[in-house]
Amino acid sequence: MQTIAIIGASGNMGAAISKSLSKGNYRLLLCAQGQDKVQAVVEEIKSGHPAADVKSIDCSLEASWEADIIVVAVPFAAEKEVAQKIQEVANQKIVISISNPLNDTYNGLVTAPDTSAAEELQKLLPNAKIVKAFNTTFAADFATPVIDGKQADAFIAGNDEDALQIASELVSTAGFNPIVAGDLSVSRTLENMQLLLIQLNMKYNYNWLAGWKILHQ
Amino acid sequence: MYDLFFQKLQEKVPLTDQEREQIKSYLTPKKLRKRQYLLQEGEVCKAIAFVEKGALREYSVENGSEHILQFAIEGWTISDLFSFLTGEQATYNIDALEDAELVLITRSAHEELLKAQPKYETYMRLLITGAYIALQRRLTSNISLPVEERYTSFTEMYPDIAQRVPQHMIASFMGVKPETLSRIRKKMADQK
Repeated sequence: MQTIAIIGASGNMGAAISKSLSKGNYRLLLCAQGQDKVQAVVEEIKSGHPAADVKSIDCSLEASWEADIIVVAVPFAAEKEVAQKIQEVANQKIVISISNPLNDTYNGLVTAPDTSAAEELQKLLPNAKIVKAFNTTFAADFATPVIDGKQADAFIAGNDEDALQIASELVSTAGFNPIVAGDLSVSRTLENMQLLLIQLNMKYNYNWLAGWKILHQ
Repeated sequence: MYDLFFQKLQEKVPLTDQEREQIKSYLTPKKLRKRQYLLQEGEVCKAIAFVEKGALREYSVENGSEHILQFAIEGWTISDLFSFLTGEQATYNIDALEDAELVLITRSAHEELLKAQPKYETYMRLLITGAYIALQRRLTSNISLPVEERYTSFTEMYPDIAQRVPQHMIASFMGVKPETLSRIRKKMADQK
């Protein structure tokens, strides 16, 4: 059984991912700065699913050391600090980047066009296997991955075949349809796709329950 | 995190700082809690584990009873080598007898290191030949030595293991009944 550390598990996305993954055969270590809030997420998971192997842990380094897969569910601005903390124990592990590097007014990204949040995380953790995933889905989508009768797609990007395979399994467990989009540089497109979805959400009041679906033959 | 791993490696093959950093970049640090599995029968063994801290055992289950093939304490390496090298299903289980800190070498890291760093290849050759010799000795002692001598050589091979591991597991490792082991230990204590 694989152990997954979720750093930032008390946030909207972190909590949503934790709840979704607790349905699978994984051991979850939930980690965040506010222990009370993260403990509440653990309790909520346990009340719905008593057999779930989930616990809170107060140190991101300890959680990541124990984990096989690390989900960095913190805002882009906080990734650098997390990366510095876990750098040594993230060696060779799958690290999932979920963040979208939005600016304050949500009308653009703070990253340069020739990079992405995922690629920046890869620079900070050079020996980890970074995978972009869960960035094109809103937190509310995790409770309702089937929207208007259609299962939302969730895109994945990365450079390591095995890591992409494992990330696809996580995405399926969460209830989305996984689509491997390409190597890690495709994260630039994926992060911009979510920028567009956020803008559309605000413009047309999707109530933060919206997603992408590729129509194809 | 990697201190003992590199200490053991450098006892066999001296490394420059640069070579050490290169090898380190391929290693996976992993903590395992007591009773957690590193490998379960039927899975594919994805890594060779080096023990920095703690104790693990490798065992098979036949007709409902456990047979311990190997213990691994600080400085030892443990894996289902057949499964690791072939990608076939493992026939052994590996679990932690104490909270453990491990250094894992995954199959892909192993393959890449073999190509990239000749000193790693040398170390692996020595490690695997050493393990083969240990296995030959264990087999020879099992088929030829009286059980008292086998117990003595076991305690020499794993100095403080008797304090760390339940007696029934040591009996399982030796292939004797727990009562037999208990009798031998008493006899040996009386002789002292």
